[in-house]
Amino acid sequence: MDNMMQAFILLLAGFVVVFVVLILLIIIVTLYGKIITSIQNKGKKKKTKTEVSPRIAPAAAVVNETEKAQIDDDGGINDEIIAVIAAAVDAVYGEKPHRIKGIKKSRSARSAWSRAGVLDNTRPF
Amino acid sequence: MEILQQLWQIICTLINESGLSKLSWENYVMVLISFALMYLAIKKQFEPLLLLPIAFGMCLVNLYPSIMGMPETQMLTEAQLLEKGVDPASYTTTVLNGQTYYNYTQNGGLFYYLYQGVKLGIYPPLIFLGIGCMTDFGPLIANPKSFILGAAAQIGIFLTFIIATALGIFTAKEAGSIAIIGGADGPTAIFVTTLLAPHLLGPIAVAAYSYMALVPIIQPPIMRLLTTKKERSVVMGQLRPVSKLERVLFPIIVVVIVAILLPDAAPLVGMLMLGNLFRESGVVERISKTAQNELMNIITIFLGVTVGATASGQVFLSWQTLGIIGLGLFAFCLATACGVLFGKIMYKATGGKVNPLIGSAGVSAVPMAARISQKVGQEENPGNFLLMHAMGPNVAGVIGSAVAAGVLLSVLKV
Repeated sequence: MDNMMQAFILLLAGFVVVFVVLILLIIIVTLYGKIITSIQNKGKKKKTKTEVSPRIAPAAAVVNETEKAQIDDDGGINDEIIAVIAAAVDAVYGEKPHRIKGIKKSRSARSAWSRAGVLDNTRPF
Repeated sequence: MEILQQLWQIICTLINESGLSKLSWENYVMVLISFALMYLAIKKQFEPLLLLPIAFGMCLVNLYPSIMGMPETQMLTEAQLLEKGVDPASYTTTVLNGQTYYNYTQNGGLFYYLYQGVKLGIYPPLIFLGIGCMTDFGPLIANPKSFILGAAAQIGIFLTFIIATALGIFTAKEAGSIAIIGGADGPTAIFVTTLLAPHLLGPIAVAAYSYMALVPIIQPPIMRLLTTKKERSVVMGQLRPVSKLERVLFPIIVVVIVAILLPDAAPLVGMLMLGNLFRESGVVERISKTAQNELMNIITIFLGVTVGATASGQVFLSWQTLGIIGLGLFAFCLATACGVLFGKIMYKATGGKVNPLIGSAGVSAVPMAARISQKVGQEENPGNFLLMHAMGPNVAGVIGSAVAAGVLLSVLKV
């Protein structure tokens, strides 16, 4: 009988503790999610488009020119990266007239199915 | 004639030393069981990464029990040592009743030493480190309500604990170790069992991993039974994108809260979150890769063979094992049902926006349980993609079962 009492107490304690801890996590994760999203939304408003002028000159000159380009406040694309991308474009197009209108980060998030493939590796655990 | 007699003596000695004379029928039965598990691992591919080393460890220990033998120290006189042809000078001495004895030590078996990582609770947290590196908590951060479903699935653990205690054949510590099978989390089950009831490690580990492998067979009927066609057809809205800052902060926040509130869960949750921080910080890619590949594989081999090696015939073939297997299945089904039922509550509470099928993913068999939610959902509506929604409760289940383990340990580990 004592054992059963102990088991019931553990059952109640288990319910309460597991739910309290996880509900606490829900509240905190929701709150900080909202805070971070609002901070980042403010940052986005200040964001300006990065543009590089027309180019036919050699890659070395591109570096100097793109260094003057505007940079995002919230850690967007910096001069060095723009220079590298512009140089790469220049290397591919060579003497053909070309223009870089903007540089945007491609979506790094995987698709649901691609993630499923990655998660396949976690299967045994 | 003398030569023949000596030859016969050598043959007799060899036969006496061989397994033929030392092994009992239980060992042979266990070898057959290990063959069946090897078949399931190789042919049916049921959790082969773990089932294969477990089955082989089981086979080896039943053919050669000394592989798990503890190191022994015998107290021998100088004459006895010289008889063995060893130098007494290399052994420490003990004087007893005026007689000097030499402490003649013999090393333990290979698996005995590898098993220390299980016995001391080292391997399960290291496996959690690798799991942390592989786990994407994004869906959980995007939809934190999933934590509720992760918690709901743990109810099965505590209800099973009550039933195992009521049966009267298990002590409270044993009942706690059996109940944790309902968490569907192998490393957590092993971690709890080594601390509460190490003598049951073999049957509990085998039962836990077997049920994890059988998720696609066990869960769907329960899910279909507890939900209506309309509920299963619910298409959930897309999850919001989660920023890098949120992902980086998540493991730090979780570990602070869980370690403060439940210190006993800290080794598991701490290593899980450390692994996840390695992944999300993006600055220690080399460490992250090692933790989720090489380290994880090495630990998996050691964990598998040594856990299998605890299943010697004399321990495994008992009524207790049958009880463990039955209660483990009960715990697992109950956990699934509780998850789905809470999913139904969320379905009602949100006005039909949550598909209750994602509740079953609250058991932490990652990512198989989430895949099952996806599969059963698609049977009703082929255009319904529940996978990422189910990953939220699924990874919440990993944290939830570690928290439940912390509760069991803090109450029962006295």
